[in-house]
Amino acid sequence: MLEYQIFFDYFPMILLGFWLTLKIVVCAIALGIPLGLILALGRRSNFILISFFATSFIELFRNTPFIIQVFLFYYVLPFYGLRLSAEYVGILALAAFGSAYFAEIIRAGIDAIPKGQLESARAIGMTDWQSMKNIILPQTVSIVLPPLTNQTLTLIKESAILSTITVHELTMTGLMVQGETFRPFEVFIMVALLYWALNETIASIMRRIEKRYSRNRKQNKIVRSKIDFIKSSGFSR
Amino acid sequence: MKPNFLEIIDINKKFGNINALKNVSLNVSKGEVICIIGPSGCGKSTLLRTVNWLTPPDSGKVILKGEIIGSDTGKMTFEQNRSLNEFRARIGMVFQQFNVWPHLNALENVVRAQIVVRKRMRDEAEKKAIKILNEVGLKDKIDEWPDNLSGGQKQRLAIARSLAMDPILMLLDEPTSALDPELIGEVLSVLRNLVNEGMTMLIVTHELGFASKFGDKIVFMDAGEIIESGPPNTILKSPKTERLKLFLEKLSLTSL
Repeated sequence: MLEYQIFFDYFPMILLGFWLTLKIVVCAIALGIPLGLILALGRRSNFILISFFATSFIELFRNTPFIIQVFLFYYVLPFYGLRLSAEYVGILALAAFGSAYFAEIIRAGIDAIPKGQLESARAIGMTDWQSMKNIILPQTVSIVLPPLTNQTLTLIKESAILSTITVHELTMTGLMVQGETFRPFEVFIMVALLYWALNETIASIMRRIEKRYSRNRKQNKIVRSKIDFIKSSGFSR
Repeated sequence: MKPNFLEIIDINKKFGNINALKNVSLNVSKGEVICIIGPSGCGKSTLLRTVNWLTPPDSGKVILKGEIIGSDTGKMTFEQNRSLNEFRARIGMVFQQFNVWPHLNALENVVRAQIVVRKRMRDEAEKKAIKILNEVGLKDKIDEWPDNLSGGQKQRLAIARSLAMDPILMLLDEPTSALDPELIGEVLSVLRNLVNEGMTMLIVTHELGFASKFGDKIVFMDAGEIIESGPPNTILKSPKTERLKLFLEKLSLTSL
């Protein structure tokens, strides 16, 4: 049987953990996406040193387990005199891990734009960066938005691993409450529901934004008119 | 002797093992219209693209009004990169596949580079854009998205985009080859106006009719070399080399 009293007694505490998860993830994404953009541009740079560094960074963080990265950040940084609280280490590790994936997504988005777009921008006298900013990147937004959303959801779930370095986020709080109450089922249902609610909210917001950003306006018009037709003809029932 | 407006000197370009350009030299005076013809893969597009260094040549020089475009050593300094962008802003380029920017509407396609590269104020840039769109016959398409334009309209938009930069030289890479036959005329008539205004142009084209009527000179290329060049009448009516004869025969076969 479920013990409902646990939901009432411990929900505020769990919510506090959720709040920290939210803060960490927001910071990690706010750091990770710009870093990913820089890495993506760095990887295709003509300067060998820059592209080598960007490529190494991406491949390192893409091809090692996140939990190992977290341990490295947490145990190795103090060796070099960088003593940060677990929360900050968590944000840094999450941002670094995420940025490697964000970079690959953005790079794929840039590669998906026909070569002539960059050529026409360069041929008219724009610098590489001006071409990126004015011509290429605006066109990649609609392409990278869905995979970027996916990666964001993954990042939120991966943040649970930060419980292993004593960050008092959602999963850690759940573990603590479980230790107090010995009612794992009730506790982890609460934890799971909160992760689900957060991800579902983000996913549905992003779906709306994706629709608005959809590049091919002409096609949109056709789709919309089809939907109107279906509705008006009563097919939707 | 008056120095040439544009000098292309001993350009070489290799793609892997293929010699795309072999010691190509070409002089162009101001106001001249040069039409480059030749079988596909003969290097005519590559030649055009080396002029504004979109494809940097392996060796050789391109000189516009006495100034070297790009660099003649192969390495580019920061300063040379900057001046290359200034050159490119003054050299209009039109592509076979139009390459209009689909995320910007027609007006913004013509405005954006004026603001970003030429540092014009938005008011001024828009005024100029509207004037030029009017000239190429896109007056009522100003707010339209490129996806809703026909091929001919897209190409005229691309030409307008180049013209807004006040180019002193235009490079046109098969501007009508991707168009349906009935749309070719509207683009050619825009080009005709440019010729009449005295624009210096290098055109890679298969439109021999246009070339013979408006070209001052026709250049025939094959396998990365300039085989023959001269005024349209001599080139098209009495070809000297076997290769050009063969090429013209093939072309006349397809037009039957």
